[in-house]
Parts: sequence; structure tokens; C-alpha cells
Amino acid sequence: MGRVIGIDLGTTNSCVAVMENGQPTVIPNAGGYKTTPSMFAVTADGKRLVGHLAKRQAITNSRNTVHASKRLIGRRFDSPETEQVAKLCPYEVVRGPNDDPRIRLGEKIFTCTEIASIVLREMKRVAEEAIGEPVRDAVITVPAHFNDSQRQCTKDAGKIAGLEVLRIINEPTAAAIAYGFGKRKEEKIAVYDLGGGTFDLSILELGSGVLEVLATGGNTFLGGEDFDRRIVAHLIDRYRETEGIDLRADSMALQRLKDAAEKAKCDLSVRDTTEINLPFIANSESGPKHLNLELDRATLEAMVGDIVSGTIKIVDQVLRDAELGPGDVDQVILVGGQTRMPLVQDAVAEYFGKRPHKGVNPDEVVAVGAALQGEALLHEDKSLLLLDVTPLSLGIATFGGHFARLIERNTTVPVRKQHTFTTTRDNQSAVKIRVLQGESDNAAENDLLGEFVLSGIRPAPKGEPAVEVSFDIDANGIVSVSARDTATGKEQSITVNATGTLSDDEIHRIIEEQELYEVQLKR
Amino acid sequence: MRIAEAGSNASGRVPRLASGRDPRDLVLSPAEGYLLSRVDGRTPWRVLREIGGLDPCDVDRCLERWHAEGWLEFDEARSRAAPQRARSAGVPADTGSSSPPRAPCAIDPALEIPVEAQERILAFEARLDRPYHEILGVPRDADARSVKRAYFELSKDFHPDRYFRREIGPFAERLERVFQRIAEAYELLSDPTARAEIERALDESPRATSSRPESARAAAAPRRRFHGLHPRELRVLAQRKARAKTFFETGMAAFQAGRSIEAAASVRLAIAFDPSNSAYRESFASVQRKASEERARQLVREAERALELRDMAGALRLYEEALLHQPHDPSANHEAARLALALGEDLRRAKEYAARACELVPENAAHRRTLGQIYKSAGLVANARRELEAALKLDPMDAVARSELRTLA
Repeated sequence: MGRVIGIDLGTTNSCVAVMENGQPTVIPNAGGYKTTPSMFAVTADGKRLVGHLAKRQAITNSRNTVHASKRLIGRRFDSPETEQVAKLCPYEVVRGPNDDPRIRLGEKIFTCTEIASIVLREMKRVAEEAIGEPVRDAVITVPAHFNDSQRQCTKDAGKIAGLEVLRIINEPTAAAIAYGFGKRKEEKIAVYDLGGGTFDLSILELGSGVLEVLATGGNTFLGGEDFDRRIVAHLIDRYRETEGIDLRADSMALQRLKDAAEKAKCDLSVRDTTEINLPFIANSESGPKHLNLELDRATLEAMVGDIVSGTIKIVDQVLRDAELGPGDVDQVILVGGQTRMPLVQDAVAEYFGKRPHKGVNPDEVVAVGAALQGEALLHEDKSLLLLDVTPLSLGIATFGGHFARLIERNTTVPVRKQHTFTTTRDNQSAVKIRVLQGESDNAAENDLLGEFVLSGIRPAPKGEPAVEVSFDIDANGIVSVSARDTATGKEQSITVNATGTLSDDEIHRIIEEQELYEVQLKR
Repeated sequence: MRIAEAGSNASGRVPRLASGRDPRDLVLSPAEGYLLSRVDGRTPWRVLREIGGLDPCDVDRCLERWHAEGWLEFDEARSRAAPQRARSAGVPADTGSSSPPRAPCAIDPALEIPVEAQERILAFEARLDRPYHEILGVPRDADARSVKRAYFELSKDFHPDRYFRREIGPFAERLERVFQRIAEAYELLSDPTARAEIERALDESPRATSSRPESARAAAAPRRRFHGLHPRELRVLAQRKARAKTFFETGMAAFQAGRSIEAAASVRLAIAFDPSNSAYRESFASVQRKASEERARQLVREAERALELRDMAGALRLYEEALLHQPHDPSANHEAARLALALGEDLRRAKEYAARACELVPENAAHRRTLGQIYKSAGLVANARRELEAALKLDPMDAVARSELRTLA
């Protein structure tokens, strides 16, 4: 049996781990880095670049370099999140045929799934080079708060990358698995995961080889990049005040500012002040202009304080869901690069009344947990069992635009619930069922996973037909729906066309294309 | 493990009933019958000598004889313990059931799941309607920690991930059912409010307590289902009950107003939303009867309209549908018979309708005449003559019957 890898497909960086003699090991890429930027670029002469290579040329080729595409995956083009990305990113976001956001790079338009698959393929390659054998099986992590279509797209991306995705697991859960590996204690664990683009909080319970997720919550649109953006905005404002030049208009300058902001942020996690030097950032009549500004930790903390306190609000909500108080938590684990920031660590420590656990590497722990979960699934050794929950309530839109919850959030998966529906008009021969995920009572405010029409209902007075619809959430958190007309016993096969997910044909087309491209590379 | 280890001598082999032979044809003493009943395809010879109820030498003698006579087979190749296909205990000679290899029971050693695990799952599945604390195997007063520990331990055995990517056939679905019930038990028993409700419910039906599980099972008659009593499940339940009540009231109002089809639909929905309410079920029978009558009347009217439009096939279909609702309507039977005859489709069906019409109203000349015509078409001359003559006797003025009779010979 081949080896199984764990991939943390991050917003900014990705990481891959494999089991080595019973121990999970993070695999460095050819450059010796244990994480690889989740970036993809197409150069002017049509070459495709991934990872560090893509990042290195991002400044000179920002329009054709994708970063943070994870923020778009599985979303609708019309969502506010897409709008925000389109506004902030130098690359062009266009509307795809399924109303999904796609990205134009040079001549070609890429789906977000495709871009994720390119990063995953790179991680697969990194693993294969290190262990010297082909890899097929993988566990991929996603933010706990990802909905069904985001998970489905990630799974499709794995397929396109030539991986057999054993399971999609939640990032904080993976971190807890890595923490719990080899421990026999009974503990309650809180995982605070502030990554590049997403924030998750999960509460888990560990005991005798079983890890139970008690509650989970978060925000898929809040992360380290928001910190960077605040710094960039600050730099732009300061520069305009002093020099009277608006750097926003220049995409190359923006990209340099972004890089500098990220670096300054990291510096300020260990230092009190840092200097930002960007020579030749602009041109004026009097000649080239430079940017030279100083930033101190207190200023940064004042800029992002509200983001951090926003995360603590979510923490509080999730604990409430689990009917726990901050004092009930035995261990707090920090995950994601952004948790290196002292302000974040202090806020978390203050809330829980204890310092976070020091023993895990916030950049690598998720990939490690994913590899451990893959191992536990595939191999006889059943020393680890994960009892996961669904992060979002699942339901349907009912008459009047209300949201009827059929499976509540934080229900242990796998789960199946059945519900009976009927018609609202006489002789109605079809019913349309809109499947939604979210927490609002107003259907329109939740994510539409898909809709289907159940037809062939025998003409009858309204309210007479009884259609039994089953909702399944499998262990991957992926939803499927089926329906049966109880009067006739006839099963209706139904596919939920999640927005943004690709059909099997599309997946095959992309696989072929990428393989074609790989051949081109080697020539 | 109840299964034999590898053995080259006879005593390690596992006898099973030869397929295609009925052991009831054997002449056996009761003791031998008992021994035969122990042959289940997974108990090895060695064990049969212990449990066969006979002297070990007699066991050997019997088994050898039956094998020589072809009643038993051994699977020599089956060295590594797996029985071919286990059968439920007991054998036809014992119970008088018809064919020796009973319908294969659920256990299948070919699956990638150990036989003991299969047995455990089946046993667990059989008890899924037990009270929650019995599902988890904890005492009623177990504290939260023991409940959780029990849940974790059971999850290790019954979570579907335990057999990830294994070929486990129907056990995949079983595991899912079992695990969901375990998870539900844990969820509800971990919630103080829900648990208090469960305790109350258990106190109301003391026979279902764990102190006397056996007697409770014996008296299983109206087994009590504990509905979701978690606060949010309670809320859902209350909502469903309220909706059921609304449907029922709407239904009964429609019934009073004579709209019985609508009434039946509403009452059916009320039952769907609140299956435990016996009042709904009781009302449903009478409402449904009225609704059937009304629906049949509607269909007959539609059939008549179809006939006006000369759509005979459509009319026949509508009459037949009406008969599904009101099988004892003589005129609908008669019309269906006439149409089936005229369409020349299926005379057997035509005859059935006509015969039923005659049975329902024997003294009707038209019914007799139609039946006679059908017999005539089918070439059954004697029957045709009998019916046509009967028709003429009932109505001497029936010219059609007379001319049919004339042309019969």
C-alpha cells in the first residue's frame, strides 16, 4: 500500500507531511522550505509557475499571479466575498458559466478549483521527490467553516491533481490530531486557528484514542491578509500625506507594499519597531521617489485591534455552543502564522486565563494532523478515531423565504435525516427544493448549495403527495440529497448542482490539460 | 472465536449440510436429529463431539454415515477458520422448515470485516430500540464522564471509519445506523434537560428499565420509542405536533364540508407529522373510505366524458382506476368489461370485470349478456350460451342477446 500524505492547502502557504517510521514528518520543498506559497502565475511567454517561483516574480507580473484564491473557491460570483477579492487583488476575476468566480491569467481563464489543483499537484510533487515513490492517497485540510461547495471544490481539486482524496478534514481538527498523537490523557482542547485568509475555532475532547469535535465555528473571510491590508492602507495614507502621491493606482507599487507589509508584520512579532524601505516606489516631476517609513508595534496593534477582538467574539460564541466556559478548556493550541503576533497570543491567553500550548509549530501542525488521519484511516492501527461534526446547519428554503434547519450545526457526522415535503398547489407535478447551509433564519442569507426539481408527482390536490427527502452528510462533511415519493415508492435520483463545482467531464478535461502541460514542461 | 483452526484430521473439519438435499428425508432418532440441528456450517466436528448430545463415538459414526450418504459436505480448503456461509442455528429436521440451506443469514465471511465484528454489529442492531442508557451500556445513573467513555469505546467499534475503504457490503449501512443511534444516545444523555425527560419517560414505563432488561424484552409488545428529547429536538417535535394538529383540523373541516379527498390528504399529513397520535389514525380510516368513494365517482365521471369523446382506451383506464378505489362498484365493473371487450385487448381481464359485475348483481340482464359476449369472443361456446340464455331469461326483450345467441352455433 502506498503512503498517504497530508496536505494543508493554505490561503497563503501550503504544507505537506507524510508518515515516516510511524512518525509524521513535514516534507521540505526543493528550496528547503517547509511551506510553499499557494501562488500560481502565468508568465508573459506562457510559462506556468507555482510556489516560490510564482511568488518571486509576483511584483513584476502581479496581474497574472494568483494568490489567496482559496478565498474564492466554492463561492458565487455575486457574493460580497468575491466582490471584495476582485476589488483588492491585482488579478482579474471574471464570472464563470456556473456563476462561479474564475481568474483570467494571460489568455486563459482558470477556475479556482483548477488553481487549487495546481498547488496540490505541486505539493504532491514535493512529497514524491522526497520519498522517492509515487503518491496517490491524500488527506486535505480545509477551514472548519467551509461549506459544502467549498469542500466539494477542494475535493475536486485533489482529483484533478491526481490524488485520491481519502478525506477532507478541518484544519483545527487536524491540529488537534497532531497535538493528541500518542497522548492518552483526557483533555478538552481549544484550537485557535488564524491563518492567512480564514479564522477557525474548534473545541475538541480527547480521550483514549478518540478525538471528538464538540463545537466549531469561525469566519472564512478573516485572516492574516486582513492584517497586511490594514498595514498597506496605513502606508498608502502616510505616503499620500507626506508626498502627495497615491500609490493605489500602481499595481506594481501595491504588490511591493503588500510584500513589505507582510514582512513588517512578521518583524513586529519579535521587535518593537521596524523600518519599511521601498526605493523608487514612485516617479514625480522632480525624479524618482522612495518610501521610507517606520512602524512600531503599538501602531500596528491599534490598527488591527478590532480584528483580534472580533476573533475573540467568535471564540466566545463557539464555547457557548459547546456549553463550556473558558475555564473548562485544558489546552489552547494556536495554529496559523498570524498567531505568532503577540497581540493575538495575549488576547487568547486573557480570554482562556492560561497561556497557549507551546509544543506545536503553527505552520506545520495542520499538515501533520492530516497525515496522521490518513494513516489512521488506511491502516490497521486504529489508535486514533476522529468524531467530527458538521460546522453549518443544513436545511431548505420553505414557503415565505424561511430557512428550515434539518441538520443542526455541530451534529456528529456521518448523519442522515429524513423529512417529508408536500405540494402547495393542486395538481402540482413538480417541487423545487433549495438546499441551503448557514445559520440565518432568512433563507436568502445562507449559502445555496444547490437546488433540484423533483418531478413526476402524480396530479393530486395540494398537500396530498408526500415526498420524503433524505439529507446525508458524510464523514467528509459533504452533503448529498435524495428523494422518494412515498405514495408510489418511486425513487427520484437527484443531483445537487452545487454552484462552482465542476462536472466530472470538466474535471477530466482539466486533468488532461494539465497532463498535457506537464509534458510540455519536460521538453 | 467459534471457528475451527486448521486441522488435517477429521475432527478439525467443519461439516455443513449438502446443498440441494432435504434432510427431512432422513430417518433419525430424536438424538440424531438434535445432532443434525447443530450442523450449521461453522461448528467444527471436534466441537460437535462435545455438544452433539451423543457419545463422541456416536457423533463420529453419525457424521461419517451422513457424509458417506451425501447429506454432509466438508470444506477442506477452508483452513483458516472462515466458514463458507453461516446459517442460523437450527436445521429443518428440527423446525420443519422447507429447504435445508436456509436463506443465508446476514453474516458473510467473504467481507473485509471479521465474523465476530459482524456478529457484534448484528446483535447491536437488534437492540437499537432499547432505552438510551442500554444502548451505551451504562447504568441509568451513570455520570457524564462514564457516558462519554462508553460513547468513545463504542465509537471505536462502530464508527464507519473503523472499516474505511474495506469491502463490508451491507454492513456499511448497518454501521451507519448503529453509529447514529449511539451518537444520538450520547448526545441526549449528555444534555441534562433531555436526560431528565428520558428519565421521566423511563419511570412511566418501568418495564423498560435496565434492571430487568430480559423481562422488558419479553414483554416487548408496545416497545416504547423515545423521541428526540434534546431541547432542539423537543422543539422540532412540538412544531411537528402543532403542524399535525393544524392539518388534522383542516382535514376534519373539509370532511364535514363533504370534501373528503382533501380531508384524507390533510389527515394523512397529520399522521406523517405525528405518527404517534392514534386519534388521527382512527379518523383516517373513515375519511379515507369516503375519499375513495368520492375519487371513484370523479373517475367514473371522467370516464364518461372520455366515452363522449370516443376515447375508449382512456375511458377503460379511468374505470380501472376507479375500480382500484371502489372494487365493488357493479356498473364500473360492467363498463370496464364492455370496454375491454370492445377494445379486444385482454379478454381475461374483461371476463373478470364482467364476472364480478354478475356476482355483485346476479339478476342483471346486461351483465349476463356482456359476460356471454366475452365468452363468445373467447370461443367458449357452452359458457357463452349459458350466460346469454340467462340474460334472455332476465330480459326476454334483449334483442342483442337474442341475436348473439342465434349466431353462436
